[in-house]
Amino acid sequence: MFKRNKTVCDHPQLKQRSVIGRFTVVSTVLVLFSIAFVGLFIAGVHGDIGVFEWVREVAVLRAVYRFIYELRALPLLIIGLPFLGSVAMLWFGRNSCNGRDSIVIAMTSLTILLTVFTYPHALEGGFAYSIPGVFGLGLSFNVDMLGFTMLMVTSVIWFLVMVYAHEYMKKEFNCNRFFFFMGITYGAVLGTIVAGDLLTLFLFFEIMTFASYILVIHGQKEDSYHAGYSYIFMGIIGGFAILVAMLLLYFTVGDLAFDSAIAALSQHGSARYWIIGLLIFGFGIKAGMAPVHVWLPRAHPVAPTPASALLSGIMIKLGAYGILRIAVSYYFPPVGTDGGDALWLTSQTIGSAVIWIGIVTMAIGVFLALQQANIKRMLAYHSISQMGYIVMGIGVAMYLGHIGAMGYAGAIYHIINHALFKSLLFMVAGVVFYHTGESDMYKLGGLWRKLPLTATVCLIASLGIAGIPLFNGFISKTILHHGIVEAYQYGHPTFFYAELIFIVISAGTVASFIKLFYYVFLRKMPARYRRITPEYNNLDTAMAMMALIIVYIGLNPRFVLDTFIIPQFDTLAYSADFVQTYVVGLTFFTAADLWLMLGIVVFGFIIFIGGKRWHLFHLKLPYWMSVEYFVFYPMNWIIKNACRLMYGDECKYNDETITKLRLKDNKDIGFLDRFKIMATVFNTRFEKRIIRSDAFIYTVFVTGVLLMMLVMRLV
Amino acid sequence: MSALLESVLDHINYLGAMALFVIGLHTVVTHSNLIKKIMGINIMGTAVFLFFVAIGNVTDGVPPIITGEDVIYINPLPSVLILTGIVVVVSITVYSLSLVVRIYETHGTVDQKEIARLNDEEAGL
Amino acid sequence: MIAQLPIVSMVMLLGMALIIPLFKRRNFSVTTSLGFVVLLAVWVLTLLVLWHVRVEGPMTYRFGNYEAFLGIELYIDLFAVLFVFFILSLIMVIYVYSTGDATEGVAEKEYGRYYILLFILLFAMLGIIYTNDLFNTYVFMEILSITTVSIISIKRKKENYTASFRYVMLNEIGSLSYLFGVALLYMVTGYTNIGLVAESIGQHWTAYPANATTAIGFMVVGVGIKSAVFPFHVWLPDAHSTAPSSSSAILSAIVVKVYILIMIKVLFRVFGLSVLDVIPVSTLLIAVAATGMIMGSMFAMAQTDIKRMLGYSSVAQVGYIVMGIGLISVLGLQAALFHVVSHALMKAALFLSVGAIIYKKKIRKVSEFNGMGFEMPVAMVVFTIAALGMIGVPMTTGFISKLNLGLAALDGGQAVLVFVLIVSGFLNALYYLPIIINAFLKDNPSQIRVMRVEKIPKTMLGPLVVLGALIVYFGLFPGVLIRVLEAVAASLL
Repeated sequence: MFKRNKTVCDHPQLKQRSVIGRFTVVSTVLVLFSIAFVGLFIAGVHGDIGVFEWVREVAVLRAVYRFIYELRALPLLIIGLPFLGSVAMLWFGRNSCNGRDSIVIAMTSLTILLTVFTYPHALEGGFAYSIPGVFGLGLSFNVDMLGFTMLMVTSVIWFLVMVYAHEYMKKEFNCNRFFFFMGITYGAVLGTIVAGDLLTLFLFFEIMTFASYILVIHGQKEDSYHAGYSYIFMGIIGGFAILVAMLLLYFTVGDLAFDSAIAALSQHGSARYWIIGLLIFGFGIKAGMAPVHVWLPRAHPVAPTPASALLSGIMIKLGAYGILRIAVSYYFPPVGTDGGDALWLTSQTIGSAVIWIGIVTMAIGVFLALQQANIKRMLAYHSISQMGYIVMGIGVAMYLGHIGAMGYAGAIYHIINHALFKSLLFMVAGVVFYHTGESDMYKLGGLWRKLPLTATVCLIASLGIAGIPLFNGFISKTILHHGIVEAYQYGHPTFFYAELIFIVISAGTVASFIKLFYYVFLRKMPARYRRITPEYNNLDTAMAMMALIIVYIGLNPRFVLDTFIIPQFDTLAYSADFVQTYVVGLTFFTAADLWLMLGIVVFGFIIFIGGKRWHLFHLKLPYWMSVEYFVFYPMNWIIKNACRLMYGDECKYNDETITKLRLKDNKDIGFLDRFKIMATVFNTRFEKRIIRSDAFIYTVFVTGVLLMMLVMRLV
Repeated sequence: MSALLESVLDHINYLGAMALFVIGLHTVVTHSNLIKKIMGINIMGTAVFLFFVAIGNVTDGVPPIITGEDVIYINPLPSVLILTGIVVVVSITVYSLSLVVRIYETHGTVDQKEIARLNDEEAGL
Repeated sequence: MIAQLPIVSMVMLLGMALIIPLFKRRNFSVTTSLGFVVLLAVWVLTLLVLWHVRVEGPMTYRFGNYEAFLGIELYIDLFAVLFVFFILSLIMVIYVYSTGDATEGVAEKEYGRYYILLFILLFAMLGIIYTNDLFNTYVFMEILSITTVSIISIKRKKENYTASFRYVMLNEIGSLSYLFGVALLYMVTGYTNIGLVAESIGQHWTAYPANATTAIGFMVVGVGIKSAVFPFHVWLPDAHSTAPSSSSAILSAIVVKVYILIMIKVLFRVFGLSVLDVIPVSTLLIAVAATGMIMGSMFAMAQTDIKRMLGYSSVAQVGYIVMGIGLISVLGLQAALFHVVSHALMKAALFLSVGAIIYKKKIRKVSEFNGMGFEMPVAMVVFTIAALGMIGVPMTTGFISKLNLGLAALDGGQAVLVFVLIVSGFLNALYYLPIIINAFLKDNPSQIRVMRVEKIPKTMLGPLVVLGALIVYFGLFPGVLIRVLEAVAASLL
């Protein structure tokens, strides 16, 4: 099935010689068609232009529309399509790479079309479908506006990345396996989004973890295995945390559907904090939240670029989506609850913690991003930092309770924007690597001459992530800034410091992307890159489209807000007045926001110049501050002394495995390997002894049991 | 004191069974010779059988052979059960002994510590 | 008439064992196909009984029509028939597999003896589950242990002899402890029939608290040794890893579970809730189970031999089951019974797939599994499914087990156990996942890159696929099984 030998597309002589290949033309047309279809459909639903009148005229189109519109299993179809597509792709991809990629691209574009059809339903409040009997509890799906927004973002970006991947993967091995698991991951991601209860969400979340693992270690090199281990094991830990939370929730509430459960939870003491804590931990691992982000900067750089674009663009968003989904369903009172209600208290308590988690995540992400030389690793740290913004937005949405709509809007908006510009930035890093084979930014330079389109889109994406006006990042950062300002105006004054950190971090982001653009595209070009020949292919189609969307959102901020975000408030418990006054009535590009932004940019330049001058971009934390040291130093100490205590001089100190445990000499051994070595040491010391003293154990145990029972009987 | 002595005498068969059980277990635990371990198991078995048979005993009872006289019979059921039990333990003993023979053939010793040492050496430890 | 079917099926199995030597001179396939026919017949009979019991309720069968306190009684209820049916089904799958690979390490002239032992083993297990008599259980238990140990030592190797010897010694101590407990109960009640003992214990045990307490202690410990509950697991890794693969599967998946069923019978049928509420056996079982869940996985992690690793994994999984039993609630018992089924499927699949690899490639070191997914795809895929089940990934039975056990633990107010469950699952992931990853995603450096799929006999391939499919099926649609087991658990309490 997944052959180890090279596939056809690996042979360079098969690469097409013409300037623009046929595949590129077809994909470009398809991309334009899909985006146009989405735009027209949404405009039609809103009645802005008379598209639907035209559809009603043509009997065939009307019949097709009604058929899809009334299809109850549409959510299932949306999830199933990628799974079917990946199986079909294996069949068609046996001999022909173009055949396989056509299936992939057709499948992803069809998913976009199907997704759009859920829009009318989602506007009406939801589109539920359930399969009883599976897992004993049944699976249920529901597409509401939050789900639809995520679906739309996912399907569009996935489609563009797949268009990109067609060209990019020509230089990689095992493409069939890659695309197969890409399809499975896609299905799982869509399933996570349309899940109507926590069990369904958990199921698809786990599938996603396991399927995307294959994407992470695609390179099959030593460091990809290391990164893969941290990815999969942290994913499993996260999954288990969600599982425990799910058990607790099911036990206390008796239902897992995404409805308000706070009334039932409030009667159960501390259980509600355990549940939300475990869920934030579990989803936070996937989201790259601060103390548990360690897998992210390892896994994203080693994955092939299309995979890392999607990991950073979509999959880590699902962590945030999970937290948001839990927060606004289980932990919010039912719609129409008054702002002063006691049911808001839980949400507010948790929210204040989440805001600080978000702030810490932002700070750590930006600080470490500034120290990186590898482009993809730097982008990965920025993903952490930007996830901090989103988590902070979620925190505000919870903390302010009844009036937290600004934080909510900011979080969703930033999810959309970050998905766009971070995927694009990873794609740029991929193109640079594709042409130069280098991803250390200090060794690159002057590439704008050779890759003008790439440089342009990189500039657009950088301006987007830095939050420059007229680009999309500015919009969501403004909303988030409004949110955090409201948090200290309406809430506790300490959040003023949060706002300060927010501003400093935004400046750090600016500095970081000045650095990226300066080192990669400006400067003097090293001689070895002079032979790069620019050509137009699928890589550019995908990147250009993404850049266009970024600019469109930046110029027309109300579109996303009105189409996707504001309808979501219908099903949430936020105060309708507040939403009407502040979110609907929000004005962008006010003088205050622009001045603030200008200040941030200037500050960013100062950081960049200062950092370059005083070599602040090469700092390194001392080893004793790492997690390994904290955990294993005491454990080693215990093991050593326990051995000495038990066996005295017989204890072997210089055994080969034991020397591996020494922290100072073995800094490169990973956490899990260390744990395994420790288990081996433990095992070699105790296993044989336990086995030899079989009857002795029996005697001790029986005596103990009898004594215990008799004593407890007598007492 | 005499009350204690009396109760000890009353339950002498139970106490004897307990003592045998402990002796057997002690043999299994402390001896590394495999044959002695088997003997220990046998002693433990005997202890349990003794205990079982002792339950069936009735003071002044006679074996339950119907002669038409009006006497108290002892409970025959435990004895019957123990007959089966003895057969079972004998078969287990035979099997273990045959295993010991095999172990002696392959390892050249019937001492458990020695066997463990040999195995360790073989594993290269 | 239908009440006689269980004993008829037991006699059929015993008869099959006895006539195998008659076919010594014939082609061996005659023996195996006849054996399969007998198994199939017994399976059909059991299905009939199962259907009858489900409709009409439990029934009893008395040998020679003696009174219950004198003679031997079979008690055929849903609990018994369901598990007999399950054991037979699983044995049939393993049996088909073993016709392809009884050979691993067993001399050719021993094949017949291997099947004789297999059928007696099956006979003993049926007896244990059906019988309603404590002493009779002891006798069947001894038959079971002597056949088990023979199956282990049929491979004439050094380590088999020592492993068997350790097994015999410890199991004999266990059996004697159990018998001692029976004697103590007989002392109090004067019966060995489970129904009568339970009745009498319920009324009179407060008069003899020391007897009842000691009896429960000895019996639980005795059965605990045989079912490899944690501190008594010492015999298991050696015994299960040295046995031929198909018998390792039987031992780990079924035989150990049968002893657990005895434990359930002793605790719930004989003593009942009124005793268990007072005597702190629940605390004891939970403590032992929790330790076992962690320590079993810890020991498994450091193993280099794959079958030893699977053996230690069984120790941890037995901990899960005992934990469910120790909660002493319908939910807990139901979860435990579900895990009995689920672990039997997963462990059988693991041992059989590893067996196929050992059969073909003659390797058993964990480190030699690199690239095995390309050489033995079917075996490795089944291994993967089962191992993911062990970790508790959704869509496998292991996940449903975890869900049920977790809910039962919360229901029993023991939230700590959920944590233990999760930690144990994570430790499982630590040793199973690297094997899978190495098998599918790493190249084997010593091998030339040949993409030839190694052929293994169809009779080995079929059972593997069936087991893998069952694991996924019950992982997706556990509803029916859970409902039936709930009824069983409710009938036991």
